[in-house]
Amino acid sequence: MNALRLDGVTLDIDGKALFAPLSFTVKPGNVTSVVGPSGSGKSSLLAYLCGILPAEIEGHGAVYAGDNELTHLATERRALGLLFQDSLLFPHLSVGGNLMFGLAARQSRAARLQRVNEALASVALDGFADRDPATLSGGQKSRVALLRVLLAEPRALLLDEPFSALDDDSRVHVRSLVFAEAQRLGLPTLLVTHDMEDVAAAGGDVIELRHPQDRHGL
Amino acid sequence: MLRRPAVIVLLCVSVIPTSAGVLAALWSGLDAAALTRVLATPGVGLSIASSIWSGVIATGVSLLLAHLAVALAASGGWRARLNGFALPLLAMPHLAMGIGLALLLAPSGVLLRAVSPWATGFDLPPDWLIVQDPAALSLILGLVLKETCFLIMALMAALAQVPSAKLQLQARALGYGPLKAWLAVTAPLLQRQIRLPLAAVLVFGIGNVELAIPLGPGLPPTFSVMLWRWFTDPDPLINAQAYAGTVLLLLATMAALAFIAAASTLLTRLLRRAAESGKRRSHDGYARGVAQSVLLVGWLTGMLAIAAILLRSAAGPWRFPALLPGGDWLSRWLDVLPVAGNVVATTVGLAAATAICGLLLVLPAAEQCRRDRRTRAIVGAWLFVPLLVPQMTFLFGIQVLLVRLHVDGTHLAVLWSHLIFSLPYLWGLLAPARATIDPRYQSVAATLGATPLRTWFTVTAPLLARATLLAFALAFSVSVALYLPTLFAGAGRFATAATEAAASAGSGNLRLAAVHGLLLAVLPLSVFALAYTTNSLLFRNRRGVPR
Repeated sequence: MNALRLDGVTLDIDGKALFAPLSFTVKPGNVTSVVGPSGSGKSSLLAYLCGILPAEIEGHGAVYAGDNELTHLATERRALGLLFQDSLLFPHLSVGGNLMFGLAARQSRAARLQRVNEALASVALDGFADRDPATLSGGQKSRVALLRVLLAEPRALLLDEPFSALDDDSRVHVRSLVFAEAQRLGLPTLLVTHDMEDVAAAGGDVIELRHPQDRHGL
Repeated sequence: MLRRPAVIVLLCVSVIPTSAGVLAALWSGLDAAALTRVLATPGVGLSIASSIWSGVIATGVSLLLAHLAVALAASGGWRARLNGFALPLLAMPHLAMGIGLALLLAPSGVLLRAVSPWATGFDLPPDWLIVQDPAALSLILGLVLKETCFLIMALMAALAQVPSAKLQLQARALGYGPLKAWLAVTAPLLQRQIRLPLAAVLVFGIGNVELAIPLGPGLPPTFSVMLWRWFTDPDPLINAQAYAGTVLLLLATMAALAFIAAASTLLTRLLRRAAESGKRRSHDGYARGVAQSVLLVGWLTGMLAIAAILLRSAAGPWRFPALLPGGDWLSRWLDVLPVAGNVVATTVGLAAATAICGLLLVLPAAEQCRRDRRTRAIVGAWLFVPLLVPQMTFLFGIQVLLVRLHVDGTHLAVLWSHLIFSLPYLWGLLAPARATIDPRYQSVAATLGATPLRTWFTVTAPLLARATLLAFALAFSVSVALYLPTLFAGAGRFATAATEAAASAGSGNLRLAAVHGLLLAVLPLSVFALAYTTNSLLFRNRRGVPR
């Protein structure tokens, strides 16, 4: 696996920069946390990396996975796995259908089904393939969303406060599961959060987003 | 706007012919000699007056009843069922309602048969002028039954934008009765959002022939019926009168719109005054009972009108006090089948083509406007314009243009005219449905490697499927009901259920009118039933899919 590298990334709204240019590297298997007050552009940073920035925000700077520059690729060709706070399982597909959507189309249907069932079993959701996602608990939905991302074989993981909507028990569980998987697969992971427990559990570098003017103010 | 080609195409399809039609109508209508002849026609003043009277009164009563229905349903806990009640009467075309009411209320109608001779002593139909009465009361009744349902639907759609449950709770907690709470707090908020539908109701009320032919006064008829007769007259001099008259109709409609706008401002002020009076009206059981009974009687009348069509279409000679027609029903229905078969094929083909073309125009445009509420509102308002001009005015104009271009009476011309009237409904249903789908579903699909096209087909389209099916049924029903557009753009060459029903009602052949009226009522109802059934089978094990 290759490192995720940002080179001089900034975001502008109406020509005003949200934060000073960011340049850093996330090594395979490491989790780098991005913290900052709401409105500091944490989530928009992830949106820029994925190429789904809303029209009113303008992004600059380069994004690399290893030696491949992703900056100008279409979202679907970047292969960056994004997890939101809501699990956003497609409501019209079964749990298994959601995972099949993420899984690459290389194999036969039977082989794909088997992989989906194995994946579900690996997170203690055996036999959930035919379930309606709307009937799952928050923690179960998060685990399915994680599997869906992983089955798509991403180059890196981008986590947009994915644990904050969960209750305390499943938060700890899901968080350690996500980090363990990231490490096992050697995925560079960028975590956006405002929860210091998340930052501590991540254990990697911490990047604080601040408004560019703040440094001059004090 | 320029970066949204689908929106531009959609608007061009509607706005260009509509504005060209209005301009052409004005151009050929501003004819001093014809205008003089129109004004010299005996009874023309009374005719215009009865058009305005029936339109304005029906609009006012419908608005009041619609607000009451929504207030009672929302405060009485049967809000979800209100749409179900309104739907059959809403789906039933105006012409069918007109024919049905005529068959129900006439001196020889089903209602008097039901109580004769045991209660009334009548062995022969009495010589009463119930339908086609000079005060246009039966016409007003027909309009009210249809337009109340239309306004209920508009209010229910507006209700989604208003936190009505919280407001109602707040007002109730302050000691207000349910009815007063609703009318003082939520109704004014809804009223603001249904201005366009209300205007459309008034414009239709004044300019319609669908109800005025079977129910409207006879001597003189309403102005729109007068124009309709002039238009279908073989004499070109009389045709010219129709063109001149349509300009008058436009002016009369505009005056009535101004009047209604002023009246609604006054009403809003009165409602505010009532809200500030501090009177709680906490014992409103009596008022609610009265309102509920009025609504129930109205609803039953509409349903009985459907039943009356069914009875009359099956009857041959039908001696007066007998409630049920005698003889062999089935063979009489079978008799008309060969004729009806062609009519059904034309009607269904046209309606299905209209709905499919409409969806193909609206879905891409809704996709391009999904993040832009302002553009959605602007597009909606432009698409609504054809409903705010008297149908006759711009259809006369369109007909003039089509003849000039030698395309009158073609399939494309008729289809286009039907599209113009379906698009506002399709947009009103699908644009908000598309906008409420969480945009992050697309982001998720894209980050999982799906191309935009695959995302549309595998994620967006399934989530829109239910709304799309309902939109199809809606556009289908609109098309089935359209009479004047089929007549004018089709140059009289297209025999649909609506044209045949209007022709037979106009010539007084009630049996044939009932047969076609039955088709008119059955086609939209069955398509809606099909859409609802499919919707409940679709995604039945997926609770999270939007309804």
